Amino acid sequence: MKSKKVKIFFFVIAFLGLIIFIPGRMFVRHHVNQKTAVTDHPLKCTSCHLYTSKNKIVSNLINEDYYSPFNIAVSNDGKRLFVVAQDTGELLIVDAESKTVVQKVKVGVHPHSVILDKTNAFAYVSNQWSDNISVVNLATSKVLDTLITGNGPSGLALSADGAKLLVVDTYGSDLSVIDLDTKEEMKRLRTGSDPTGTALSPDGKKLYVTSRRSKIVPYGEPLVSDLTQIDATTLRVDEHKDVEEAYMMENITFTPSGDLALMTLIRPKNLIPSIQVEGGWMMTHGIGVIDQNNEGRIIQLLTDQPNAYYSDSFDIVVSPDGKRAYVSNAGADKITVMSVDSIRAIIKETPKEQLKNIANNLGVSSRFVIDRISTGANPKGLALSPDGKKLYIAEQLEDKIGVLNTETLKMETAIDLGGPTRITVARQGRRLFNNAGHTFQNQYACYTCHPDNHEDGLVYNMAGKDMGRNVTNTQSLREIGDTPPFKWNGKNQTIYKQDGMRFSTVLTRTEQFSYDDLDAITAYIKRGIKYPPNLMYNPHGKLTESQLRGKEIYNRTKDNSGNVIPENNRCYTCHPAPLYSNLQPADVSTLAVSDDSILFDTPHLGNIYASPPYLHDGRAATLEEIWTIYGEDNKHGYVNDLTKMQLNDLIDYLKSLGGPEQEDEGYQEQQTASF
Amino acid sequence: MFPKNTFNSYLIVLAMCFGAIGMHSCKQKPLTHMIVMTQNKGDVESRDYSKGDKLQYMSGSRIVAMNTTTPNEPLDELTSDFYSACSPKISYDGNFMLFAAQKNQDDVWQIWEMNLHNKKKKQITSSDHNCIDPDYLPGERLVFSKEVKNKDPKVDTEFTLFSCNLDGSNLAQVTYDPSTYFASTVLSEGRVIAIGKELWPEEKPANFMIMRPDGTKKELFYQMEQDHYITSGATEMNNGRILFVEANSNNQKDLISLSYNRPLHSEENLTSEIKGDFHAISPYHDNKVLSSYRPENALHFALYEFDVESRELGRPIYEDGENNILEAVFVQKKQRPRKLPSEVDLNVKTALLVCQDINFQYSQPTDSTIPAFKASKMEVLGIDSTMAVFKTEKDGSFYIKIQADTPFRLQTLDDNNNVVKGPSSWMYLRPNERRGCIGCHENRELVPGNVQPLAVTKEPIPVPTPKQMDAPKRELKM
Amino acid sequence: MNIQTKHFKIIVPMAILVIASLGFVRPEERSPVLNDSSDINTTNNSKEAEKPMPIYGNWKNYDSKNGLPGDKAYCVKIDGERILVGTHEGLAVLENGKWKTYTTDDGLAHNGVLAIDVDQATGDVWLGTMGGLSRWSTGKFENFNQMNSGMPNDLIYAVTCDEKFVWVATGGGAGSYNTYTRKWEIFTEENAPMHEPWTYGVCASKDKIFIAAWGGGVIEYTKKTKKFRDYVDPDGNMEIDLFPDDGVVHDITTGTSWANDILWVATYFGLSRYDGVHWKGYFDHDSGLASNFINFIKAKDDYAFICTDQGLSCTDGNNWVTYTTNEKTNKGKTIILNGTNKKELGESTSLAHNFILGVDIVGNDIWVATAEGVSHGQLKH
Repeated sequence: MKSKKVKIFFFVIAFLGLIIFIPGRMFVRHHVNQKTAVTDHPLKCTSCHLYTSKNKIVSNLINEDYYSPFNIAVSNDGKRLFVVAQDTGELLIVDAESKTVVQKVKVGVHPHSVILDKTNAFAYVSNQWSDNISVVNLATSKVLDTLITGNGPSGLALSADGAKLLVVDTYGSDLSVIDLDTKEEMKRLRTGSDPTGTALSPDGKKLYVTSRRSKIVPYGEPLVSDLTQIDATTLRVDEHKDVEEAYMMENITFTPSGDLALMTLIRPKNLIPSIQVEGGWMMTHGIGVIDQNNEGRIIQLLTDQPNAYYSDSFDIVVSPDGKRAYVSNAGADKITVMSVDSIRAIIKETPKEQLKNIANNLGVSSRFVIDRISTGANPKGLALSPDGKKLYIAEQLEDKIGVLNTETLKMETAIDLGGPTRITVARQGRRLFNNAGHTFQNQYACYTCHPDNHEDGLVYNMAGKDMGRNVTNTQSLREIGDTPPFKWNGKNQTIYKQDGMRFSTVLTRTEQFSYDDLDAITAYIKRGIKYPPNLMYNPHGKLTESQLRGKEIYNRTKDNSGNVIPENNRCYTCHPAPLYSNLQPADVSTLAVSDDSILFDTPHLGNIYASPPYLHDGRAATLEEIWTIYGEDNKHGYVNDLTKMQLNDLIDYLKSLGGPEQEDEGYQEQQTASF
Repeated sequence: MFPKNTFNSYLIVLAMCFGAIGMHSCKQKPLTHMIVMTQNKGDVESRDYSKGDKLQYMSGSRIVAMNTTTPNEPLDELTSDFYSACSPKISYDGNFMLFAAQKNQDDVWQIWEMNLHNKKKKQITSSDHNCIDPDYLPGERLVFSKEVKNKDPKVDTEFTLFSCNLDGSNLAQVTYDPSTYFASTVLSEGRVIAIGKELWPEEKPANFMIMRPDGTKKELFYQMEQDHYITSGATEMNNGRILFVEANSNNQKDLISLSYNRPLHSEENLTSEIKGDFHAISPYHDNKVLSSYRPENALHFALYEFDVESRELGRPIYEDGENNILEAVFVQKKQRPRKLPSEVDLNVKTALLVCQDINFQYSQPTDSTIPAFKASKMEVLGIDSTMAVFKTEKDGSFYIKIQADTPFRLQTLDDNNNVVKGPSSWMYLRPNERRGCIGCHENRELVPGNVQPLAVTKEPIPVPTPKQMDAPKRELKM
Repeated sequence: MNIQTKHFKIIVPMAILVIASLGFVRPEERSPVLNDSSDINTTNNSKEAEKPMPIYGNWKNYDSKNGLPGDKAYCVKIDGERILVGTHEGLAVLENGKWKTYTTDDGLAHNGVLAIDVDQATGDVWLGTMGGLSRWSTGKFENFNQMNSGMPNDLIYAVTCDEKFVWVATGGGAGSYNTYTRKWEIFTEENAPMHEPWTYGVCASKDKIFIAAWGGGVIEYTKKTKKFRDYVDPDGNMEIDLFPDDGVVHDITTGTSWANDILWVATYFGLSRYDGVHWKGYFDHDSGLASNFINFIKAKDDYAFICTDQGLSCTDGNNWVTYTTNEKTNKGKTIILNGTNKKELGESTSLAHNFILGVDIVGNDIWVATAEGVSHGQLKH
């Protein structure tokens, strides 16, 4: 009897199990396929319901607040390190001997760089997302003053007499000159686009400012970026030097003797069809050498090798004896150690006509690279101890300061800043995003074309069908979590699909992300990338009169003559708040002869001011050109009745747009990314 | 059949569950302390991979296993039921071994796989022609060389690279040019490195060639010095070095090390101070490799440990007086190479090639009195005839849509159809492959300048013309 | 804040005194610097009138034969050691004794360069052309036009740099470009008291902008309040100045220039001077003005240099010096009118042409743009 009961029991359990398992699994498979737009994603609820959750409680539970050290300064005696903790908005004061954080000073939002004055009385910290400088009294470890700057302050330098603070404004693309007596901005000098790095020559006479974005030119014209040379005495621009075929010049430094200035750079291949990675056909990375003894000619040298790339060179420092230079390769988790004398020898023997070719030679690095040292995740800012014996490395996504013994070229125990020890899924996604390891031969990371999680301002020939067709303007990744589908043609409904198999076939050309990694990078892209506050065009969250007029035009239903504008030709129809996209495909009459016949996915307009050039192939250098040149047929919104003044108002309004958070509560409350 | 009380039955169910879970989780652990190696009684003097005109495998060879913890115990013969067996390669999980073997003396060589735990063997290929030199590819596949008949009757044999699933299915040809390819090794980055040698219209020295497992993006990896020749396949070390054995003009066979990062200009002879010959190598522990080495005046090759860093040869690990010990491989789990995605689409009959500038020169001529011969045309040479001649663009660029899986060479012509440069080495493109080159440049370490070739602003030139283009035959069988 | 009691007794009366004094003394009267609304220029002028008028001579001319890309020079600007000349064929630059021309091939927006100003803070040169605005910085051009920016119109007659702003007078209104925010603001008859959007001149004082608007007189823009007011000819007569010194002499204004708290206004029908309270008109028949047809005006310290179709005049409001050329003999003539004393001096050198389009003066050097070249003169006494 009992045996029969047991049999029945097993039968019922098995039957129920089958009923639940088979249809249930089918249902779940269908659900996951629908949500991920791929058919092979594992049936994991956590992928969507946890890692990319918008619920604040869930988000707080699964994520952590990391320090994310970005830049470093070292005191004159070498005993103290001053570390910019970008994500917590702090200046961390570290005892170099005990390797412990001794003080945390709250500074502005999303700080970028720190420098010390000559006597180490003050530290100046540039706060990129609050447009100011925190002046920290190092005797009291308190913020003494806050100096107003231009937009997006980043790189810093002090004039030779210490009386002027020179602040690179990344978002404003200029240099603020601040009189430290009056604490007022004296003037702004125009620099290249999206500048960050700056260095004063040892004699105090010359200041360089590097830019990261190239000049906007029609597709096919040579790529040129600007290196701004400023007379540090008159504080006027001396020269805008053309840096050919290069961009992303993050940082620059001088040798102690001042004979060379060295900067990091990337040499992209956006004008060549993206048909292969082999042979450096997508991205190459290197340094620019500005030869001070030869009319400031610029020699570019690749730090990559024929089968190994060291992506996203960020910072560069030169040893006190001028013999060695160190470059942080943020996308390769490496420090490249270089012989400056070998660089001198190369530039001495290189005739002018060979400069172009030597800049494309992957073999040259073997002549000046001494070693490549592995570091923690995402090495960014570098600082040498005064005696040059230690190199401190801001390992941004390791939350540590790496310490390289420059005599043995071995890494010592890193300085743990005391951040979370757990690596969250989104943090792992951020690491993947910033690391080139998932690209064939480490040639580029997501970050390379999407610096600062944004876009690099370049138009690429992705060679989708045939070479030379379908050139594509890189799109920003900021706040795109709720704006599917993706790509200009909207073919990828989800980030899982966008970064899936096809991504590896046509872009990274190596093994595709594992599903865990795909979950991680999706979590980061969907929820971890925030807009910087739009302090340039909407600093107080209140629209100006012109912007209000522009908003009226944006939302208008009738033209200037009182005629009703067809609904599909009104701005707000396709770009409705709060995302400023209806997520639908549209024909705005900008298809080129060289484009396949497609509709364009309607892009969102948040922080649109920061994304030139515009339109799918970057043909519009400015927002104005969208309508003055490419909107004549009124298909991209009804605009031809607008006066120039009205168009200016409309554009002024568009430039004021931030993200949904701004729409809801004002971006001043926007939090920094905590991933 | 069930116990009388319910409690006991629950216990049994529980035990069954645990058992199932245990069996599921109890994967085979890789074998440790095992070295597999090829033993051969014959004379190995004539072994020369680079010749390519005859089969390299000697009859009567066998694969044996040695336990490194009990070196004095008799060797375990793994291929006793084969007449000949050689070329062992270990799977990434350390549990299986691929090898080439012939069942009987007159049989053709086939590829086999053995489970090293239970010694069970599985035949993978069933070809009419010899299949040799297997290596594991990620994704349950392998790459190997298969003998095919060459167009030129003067050349006896030609080996072409193929890949297939580990059960022998889904056979795919990898190389398509009149060259022979041997001794392939799959690198951790996912590409296949093989000894390649052009055979037609005339023989050229063998070099290491590298390509994706689908045959795309084939390029030179390492070029041999004149009068030197390669005598072993390549071995990848954990530190990014590539090792192989090379014979110099005096037939001295040394271990050569290359940097994977810069293979064309990083050659180092690791054993120039060691007299005697090396035959084959494979990774062992840390900086050490297993090397098949024959001291000067010795009759046979024995198994030695060699320290790559200190360049010191250790004591012999195994030697016997009768056999050569060749091709020793340490059985261990290792990182699976990357599984590279494939752009090959067999539904497409063509492939695209763009060249930036046929007149590109790395070094600009300094003597302006020497007239510069500028090419203005490109000729695409097929095996038997010219496939196309066309004018290049003003910037020297061209862009062609060429029949896939068809070997071709390029040569540049001037306005009067005189050859300026060429012909090049043999090339082929796989279906749907897109390939780019900078120009007819000598420096292979150059990356392209960031310049849009004029040619890609137009439609590609079809080569050959659509009329001539036949659908390539793809029906492959073993 | 903690204020100690003993100090409190002193601070309170002091504060009362300060506040009281603020009530009795207007802030502008406390300032030793006169602003453009001050009315004490008469005194100032009477002092200056005692100074002899500067006389320039030793003219050296440049045209297409010796350096310029063409003969017609629209404007000229002295920028430190170099001279910038806007011609119909591009920007000509004289530096280290050598002329160099920049055209659209070099990136210039348009070869017809009508106006030049230099941002003294940054050193950037702003060029108003017939086809847009060019910023010329260290040899590189950055162009703004009505298609790629919020600029009102591509035909630019005047450019003035004022702190972080660049003002332009264009055929489609005046515009100001904020070099910090990269934002344009347009002023036309829609939002400013203009008769029509056509504007010819623009200049800046410390706290105001003065726009010469065709048919609209002078448009005054107060920077702080962003408010406009206009100055038009009160008699509204198009032919003659019916009531002398009642306002700007004519509504068709061609230029404005401000220096030493005096606004000078050029029209095609005479010259006006405004000291913040009083207007004064000058014509060729009642002053030393070479011609009523004024193309351009440039005020420098106490003097205004007036570019007419009949020569170049210079005045301090009372005394005049006019430079003309005999186009047949190429001999120059300097006519000095000191009060009622008129004196004519013959010159062996002369301006390139009597049709004067632009002028700039720095130190002892004067450069004059004419229809037939550019002339360089030196201060004789």
